[in-house]
Amino acid sequence: MFIKALLIALWAGITGIDNFNGLTHIHRPLVTGLIVGLILGDIQTGLITGGMLELVWMGMAPLAGAQPPNVVIGGIIGASFAILANQEPNVAVGIAVPFAVAAQAGITLLFTAFSPVMHKADKYAEEANLKGIDKINYLGLAILFVSYFIVAFLPIYFGADTAEAMVSKLPQTFIDGLSVAGGMMPAVGFAMLLKIMLKKEYTGFLILGFVLVAYLELPVLAVALLGTTIALYDFYNNKNKDNTPPPANSNEGVVNDGI
Amino acid sequence: MASKDINNPQINNTQYKDESGEKVLTKKDLNKMAWRSLFLQASFNYERMQAAGWLFSMAPALKKIHKKKEDLSKSMKVHMEFFNTHPFLVTFIMGIIAAMEENKSDTETIRGVKVATMGPLGGIGDALFWLTLLPISAGIGASLAIDGSIAGPIIFLIMFNIVHFALRFGLMHYGYRTGVNSVSMIKENTKLVSRAASILGLSVVGGLIASYIGLETTAVINAGEARVALQADVLDQIMPKMLPLGYALLMYFLLKKNWSPIKLIGITVVIGVAGKYLGIL
Repeated sequence: MFIKALLIALWAGITGIDNFNGLTHIHRPLVTGLIVGLILGDIQTGLITGGMLELVWMGMAPLAGAQPPNVVIGGIIGASFAILANQEPNVAVGIAVPFAVAAQAGITLLFTAFSPVMHKADKYAEEANLKGIDKINYLGLAILFVSYFIVAFLPIYFGADTAEAMVSKLPQTFIDGLSVAGGMMPAVGFAMLLKIMLKKEYTGFLILGFVLVAYLELPVLAVALLGTTIALYDFYNNKNKDNTPPPANSNEGVVNDGI
Repeated sequence: MASKDINNPQINNTQYKDESGEKVLTKKDLNKMAWRSLFLQASFNYERMQAAGWLFSMAPALKKIHKKKEDLSKSMKVHMEFFNTHPFLVTFIMGIIAAMEENKSDTETIRGVKVATMGPLGGIGDALFWLTLLPISAGIGASLAIDGSIAGPIIFLIMFNIVHFALRFGLMHYGYRTGVNSVSMIKENTKLVSRAASILGLSVVGGLIASYIGLETTAVINAGEARVALQADVLDQIMPKMLPLGYALLMYFLLKKNWSPIKLIGITVVIGVAGKYLGIL
């Protein structure tokens, strides 16, 4: 069992990376089912459970920044459980989802914990040290691999039942709270953009974009196209003004002299 | 005076010192960047999201373009700023930015183009991959697998990745050509372009605030017989997406008061968990 759990954990580490990097989608339950089936010696059950889990996760796309239950851990635990506990694929799905939700909460913590490393990256940028930036990215990959490896290894080695009981003891409210925080998190990133870009004269466009989505429920692409329309109009309007040199030049002279 | 500014480039710190703008990037460099773009999210985090991975992918180009250490450092700092887009379509932006860097466009314009393109590409990517390619290829694969056929996963992987890699590499070269063809225009009209980019960028950020921040209250006010759901009956009546906007603005003002982003992320986690325990989020 140790070797089998090790092989599955190895697959979890690799596909955990693929979930965010590479994105060849070997991490989908459809593929994982086959691989777990191969490792545990029951390809048929692996394929069928994988196919069913795939359909469950198909509707759970990471849209609008909301992270769905972790597809990697869900696929691996689900397929392993179906084969090891000799259960119906449906039951396996029920087992897989709580694990996947807990795993996603862990990912939220990981992405939070990695934020301070960015200050190290700022230092490397200051020093024009590209090798340092490489190192930070390799470190991120290593952490992803190790986290997924451990999260897959423990429940399979110690038995999926025991682990499920443990996960269910984690207060649900706490896990839900982390998920709420994950949804709020983009606000911090947008605020950082505003700090860099927002000037008084442009505030109106921020309001416009917000209104188009909040009230008119337009997709972001539509907002971008409308924004482009205004930007193009503004650009050519000002460009034509610049092509009539006398007033523009004299104006600038006055401003500069004033300063 | 204006003439003094022109003679002394150090005054304008958004410009590169070496302004030669030589063409140094080859197809091979672009391919190298496309391969590295597979690791866009290696160092993903809530403070900068894909920034360090983006810089990692841009590295082959930046190293070749910026021979002066201070220029490289200036460029790296711009690329360490918050960045987040769709991880497949990102190479289109990379191509454009590589062309702009090669042309030594000023950093404000480079930032403007990055911010203006990342949101819309994110939306297009979601629609293209999560809502089209993945359901189609995985649907076919899953139906085969449920019948017990090993062809299911294999067909899925082949279908998905032909589209994936064709777009990833194709968009890198297409973006670069687009960038090369438009940079001279961009450079001549820097001020106007960065103004236009700010207009576009901010309207997109306004839209992102309304669509990508998830924050709703579950609080219910009991007023005698009446039960008033705070979100549906009060807040939504005043203004939809009021809480996401309010929270983003709160974060903005705290940042302006020099609170660190990490502190804000920590506070967000506490608010989320505490709000859930209090039953208001």
